[in-house]
Amino acid sequence: MVGPQYDLLANPLGVIRSTFDTAISTGSDPTSLNGRDWGAIDHFRHFLSDQSQLSQVPLLTAATIKYVKPNTLVRFRGMIQDMLGNEFYVGTFKDGSVWRTNKFTDFAQYPIPVGSSVHTRIWERRLLYCVPIPGLSPWAESTPETVADVSMDCTSDQREKRRRGDDESSDMHVENDEVVEGSPNTKRMREGERPSPASQSQGAVPETAGSCTNLIPGLNGNSSNCIVKIYDTPESELRLNDIFEFVGILTSDLELQDDSEDRDLLNEFSEDPLHHFPPNKVQVPRLHCLIHRKLSILDFLQNKPIIEPKPDMVKSIRESLLKHLSTVLGNDDVAAHFMLLHLLSKVQARVDAIAVGKFSVNFTCFSKEIASIFGKQLNHSVKNLVPFTHCIPLTVEYLNTASLAPKKNYDKNRLETGVLQLAEGSHLIVDETQLEAGTLNSVGVENASLLKNLMEMQRVDYDFRFYKMEMATDVQLLVLSEGKSNILPADVIVPIRPSATNCSEAVPAETLEAWRWYLGTVRQLPHCMESGMEKMVEGDLVEAIQADRSLSIQDFSRWLTMGRLMSLSYGETSMSLEHWQMAKELERLRRERLK
Amino acid sequence: MASNSSPMDFDPSSPDIPPSSPIPNTVSTPGRRRRRQSTTPSAYGTPQGNRSRLASSDATPTPSRHRRGGGIPSGRRVPATPTSTSDDVPMSSEGGDGYDMDDAGPTYVWGTNISVEDVNDAIQRFLKHFREKSTSQGGIDDLDTEGKYEKLIKQVIELEGESIDVDARDVFDHDPDLYTKMVRYPLEVLAIFDMVLMNMVTRMKPMFEKHVQARIFNLKTSTSMRNLNPSDVERMISMKGMIIRSSSIIPEIREAIFRCLVCGYCSDPVLVERGRIAEPTVCLREECQSRNSMTLVHNRCKFTDKQIVRLQETPDEIPEGGTPHTVSLLMHDKLVDTGKPGDRVEVTGIYRAMSVRVGPTQRTVKSLFKTYIDCLHIKKTSKSRMLVEDAMEADNGQGRSAEEVIFSEEKVAQLKELSKQPDIYERLTKSLAPNIWELDDVKKGLLCQLFGGNALKLATGASFRGDINVLLVGDPGTSKSQLLQYIHKLSPRGIYTSGRGSSAVGLTAYVAKDPETGETVLESGALVLSDRGICCIDEFDKMSDNARSMLHEVMEQQTVSIAKAGIIASLNARTSVLACANPSGSRYNPRLSVIDNIHLPPTLLSRFDLIYLLLDKADEQTDRRLAKHIVSLHFKDHETMEQDVLDISTLTDYVSYARKHIHPQLSDEAADELITGYVKIRGRGKFTGSSKKVITATPRQIESLLRLSEALARIRFSEWVEKHDVLEAFRLLEVAMQQSAMDIKTGTIDMDLITTGVSASERIRRENLIQDTRNIIMEKMQIGGRSMRLLEILEELKNQSPGNEIHLNDLRNAVSTLASEGFLSTAGDSVKRT
Repeated sequence: MVGPQYDLLANPLGVIRSTFDTAISTGSDPTSLNGRDWGAIDHFRHFLSDQSQLSQVPLLTAATIKYVKPNTLVRFRGMIQDMLGNEFYVGTFKDGSVWRTNKFTDFAQYPIPVGSSVHTRIWERRLLYCVPIPGLSPWAESTPETVADVSMDCTSDQREKRRRGDDESSDMHVENDEVVEGSPNTKRMREGERPSPASQSQGAVPETAGSCTNLIPGLNGNSSNCIVKIYDTPESELRLNDIFEFVGILTSDLELQDDSEDRDLLNEFSEDPLHHFPPNKVQVPRLHCLIHRKLSILDFLQNKPIIEPKPDMVKSIRESLLKHLSTVLGNDDVAAHFMLLHLLSKVQARVDAIAVGKFSVNFTCFSKEIASIFGKQLNHSVKNLVPFTHCIPLTVEYLNTASLAPKKNYDKNRLETGVLQLAEGSHLIVDETQLEAGTLNSVGVENASLLKNLMEMQRVDYDFRFYKMEMATDVQLLVLSEGKSNILPADVIVPIRPSATNCSEAVPAETLEAWRWYLGTVRQLPHCMESGMEKMVEGDLVEAIQADRSLSIQDFSRWLTMGRLMSLSYGETSMSLEHWQMAKELERLRRERLK
Repeated sequence: MASNSSPMDFDPSSPDIPPSSPIPNTVSTPGRRRRRQSTTPSAYGTPQGNRSRLASSDATPTPSRHRRGGGIPSGRRVPATPTSTSDDVPMSSEGGDGYDMDDAGPTYVWGTNISVEDVNDAIQRFLKHFREKSTSQGGIDDLDTEGKYEKLIKQVIELEGESIDVDARDVFDHDPDLYTKMVRYPLEVLAIFDMVLMNMVTRMKPMFEKHVQARIFNLKTSTSMRNLNPSDVERMISMKGMIIRSSSIIPEIREAIFRCLVCGYCSDPVLVERGRIAEPTVCLREECQSRNSMTLVHNRCKFTDKQIVRLQETPDEIPEGGTPHTVSLLMHDKLVDTGKPGDRVEVTGIYRAMSVRVGPTQRTVKSLFKTYIDCLHIKKTSKSRMLVEDAMEADNGQGRSAEEVIFSEEKVAQLKELSKQPDIYERLTKSLAPNIWELDDVKKGLLCQLFGGNALKLATGASFRGDINVLLVGDPGTSKSQLLQYIHKLSPRGIYTSGRGSSAVGLTAYVAKDPETGETVLESGALVLSDRGICCIDEFDKMSDNARSMLHEVMEQQTVSIAKAGIIASLNARTSVLACANPSGSRYNPRLSVIDNIHLPPTLLSRFDLIYLLLDKADEQTDRRLAKHIVSLHFKDHETMEQDVLDISTLTDYVSYARKHIHPQLSDEAADELITGYVKIRGRGKFTGSSKKVITATPRQIESLLRLSEALARIRFSEWVEKHDVLEAFRLLEVAMQQSAMDIKTGTIDMDLITTGVSASERIRRENLIQDTRNIIMEKMQIGGRSMRLLEILEELKNQSPGNEIHLNDLRNAVSTLASEGFLSTAGDSVKRT
């Protein structure tokens, strides 16, 4: 296998090539390989299984994109916003007598012989369009220090130049090339950039890695989206709106974009999604993905305390969090309890149109004054606790103008994102206190029904113009309104009774971290119910319905969800009688308020 | 690409107008064709398809085969077309004589096992001898009858068409080997196909000038867009999808003519070569030879239409968590504009990949490929989710036209197998909204609605609807809306509306002004749109009276007539209505009749075949089951639960197959049962007093019963309505009627409750009251005497019969009846005898 002489971080392509050569020389038939892995991925997987190594890989963000070198290993964390379909490429070809591979690159390192279909094999890869996770709280963003370390060596002289380039035009790679080479002919420059076959000894470090000058051209700071090219992965593994961490090779195909002369020939097929990305020449970086990993909320904690959820510890965290929530809500204990359950809820199953486990809360009695005090506090503390949050100030104007649902733009062949394209587990606050009487136009009506659907079924209709496609989501919805919200029928309505207006106290960072860990962990716990308990609960329900005929299935569902969340909040995986009683008591207190 | 696949130059430009298409072939361009022919000398009179399908692209390396390598191998390379093509420079010399049938020795297409002669013969055999199964039963060698395709060719010649549609299944039936070759090496085989075809055409009509092409459709396997992979490149594939975007029509140059600006000399037509035209730099006339003087003469060049269409996956093929895939289609000439965005089509074509060159002048290609489908045939498929019986109306003669059978044989076998199960009725009931608990009888009723009865049209023009209308009335929180949603999801096509938000025109049809043209156009409303489907109307009671009154016509006549803004039209609205309503006082009051509970006019109510009351009854048993259901919903693994239930797609298939193919007839036995049953129900009305005539069933019920029993037979895939179907229909009707048409005061079924809103017993009570009032007034008052207050009369009445409770309102009604008889006159609260 590959010796240590290859720098997996700086020259991953070298490793890929050399493993390919090894594989071929050990008898693999390139014609029957069909794009399957030949052992390169294992190499990287092994290398990156070590956490410290993984953190060495620079993270691609808007801030770091200036310093990351092309054709090196980078990480990208994002949400899959759109899928651009498959792309066919020449996977392997025979260059003279040697088989070469194009996997994980955009360009052939060696010229592909034209027309020799005998010696080329087409493979395919998937294209995903990824965006930074919408509503990512500041605390959940990874600190870019690791990147800074890596790129430190070449940033000092680079920065100055960059800045100049930034100021001038987005077409700065030209500028840059001129600075470096003094050559006015960019075209030749680019040719030069591609290492000539002669200088390419096996696995040699590409020139790019040697100097700091060839940072990715054309990229500027505000494009933090990324096109990820996926190899060897079953389709079902990556789904829309999933959050992933991709580790792969960064490239930019400015050349692909730059051939404007070539357009007349290509324009007929220019529905190609990639052609529409750059508004002018802003590039979206491409990542040839080697390894991907689905992220959970826990992955966003800065220092991951790897602890088993011990009951007493969970309990103490729960108490302190409850206290905090109660403070935020003006010493309203009942509301704080509901808030806690709400933060722990997630859709655990879908049975037809019913999303079991959702627990949306509507805090009522939020008059304007109360909203001005507590709304902000609540928003702030939710942001501090949950990694992905979003807040919608619901006004007539907002409803009439906002594009909530993602919409397919067929001219660009892209899915244009909407506010409600949210990652699983996002938290959404809908502030209805600002809502005043007004007329909804057709957009407004559509948006209102979208919100209602989201609330009732945890589904968002994506607009594909000719039809709507239902996408299942899992969003925690919190509605703040003065009276019971009619637009957004939440699962539970809690009139809020603040008794004090405490300013939110500063919370120590460790405590916050513990809370985040608690919310993230407890939420994921599995849950079941023992049969004895089941009987008991059933009996309770029957009793309740016989006492009050107005109870509906929805009420029962809510009770059970509450019971489950209540026991979860103690870190228990099965519901006990005590927790069931607590849930019922909580419900009783709430009902009293409603009277 | 031209350089590569050029040996075949079958011309994709000919029209693809299937014979069934109503569009007249007005766009024929004989002039152009003739001209082309004259310019290209061709020994066989085949017009030169001098443009490869991919004139403008680069080579397509194929995953596993190659037509052109470093050298020409020993197997003789076969130019698949007789015409020399400009594209393939090194080979063209051979092109002219390639089509010589007497050529000795087998000729193989390079790199394949295709022997040109074999294929040629096979195609010839197929075209000559293929007969459809029904006709070939007389004997395969029966050459007297004309083959299907010979007939088609003759038709094409007569119509001067440019293509014939070849059903790939016919090819398969006749010669599976040929089919395999055709799918595997479409470019080569199709070229030979066209050649054979042309040969036959010229034999039949030597002077025929057009180039006739084969258009293959209806492949045995349909690929899903998602599963396209590199191994499909250069194969014939067919797929379904939805057109989402079509480009404007691109005129593509095929031959260019240049003229010298200096001397006016016109060059010979220059053909497209590898996507470009080589512009002569020097005037070709020897005397002139001026440099850079040649200019393109636009109106002497030849262009063809080309269009790029983007096809997207249909929503049902998209897996959860995915976005739809798209693929480009390349359409030529007559295929251009055959589909509009939004159309669902089935496309047959060749999957191609085209490499991307770095620059126009550079030979280096990028490692990327653009893929597209070279379209051979395009067929519009229906938009409906489920195919509905349209057999009666499908323009017969064309046979299977727009709506093809979509069920594969295995699927049909599977469905039939399912239908043979003895408990299929129960299973389907259970599979219907499995998460809505209980309500089995309601579900059975809805199941019948889904399957529907037979619509009947008599020669006299009278028609009887086959659609079953169902009304659900019930307390809030009894999952009415969920049932509605579920049925909506399942139904062949249908609209879900809420009564509150629907207006009369929104339901039926309205006339709108087209913003662009200013013309008035008719826009269909929900009921018209759900023709042959189910229109689900939630909150029926909240609908405005105006809107509701529109439903009268729809529910019995099944049409919508409008006359406004100069448009008078009657639109079909053969829809079943599934409505649900809440009782007016939010909770159902069992002491009142249905009519009083839901404020619906009896005329409308009587049009519902089944009216179910979903009441929240206090019953420990059901409560316990409900509790169990909810608990298991929350705490059980849903994967393992309810395996016994059919999934929704099977259910949909089952329903649509039954609706399309099963048309049960009433057996004699069942008819007898129906008659005796009806008489029995009518007879029930007479059991109490002789004076009281309770109508327990009306002719409307007999129709309902018929429909229900037909639907029940359909559920079993039975062509005959059996006795037990009728019995079950009676049971269903009775269950529904018992709930809704029960006269609360007497406990019997009384259809008058539904038809008039007043039960017979109530009517008798009212009559008695009128009689009593009359008596009192006769006693107490003289004509022209003093007036009496209503309250006094009420007092009097109560004294007379202390047992009866009489309301002032009842009395008012009685008095007004008497007043209309002229017996008395009223002024405010005082009554005067006249």
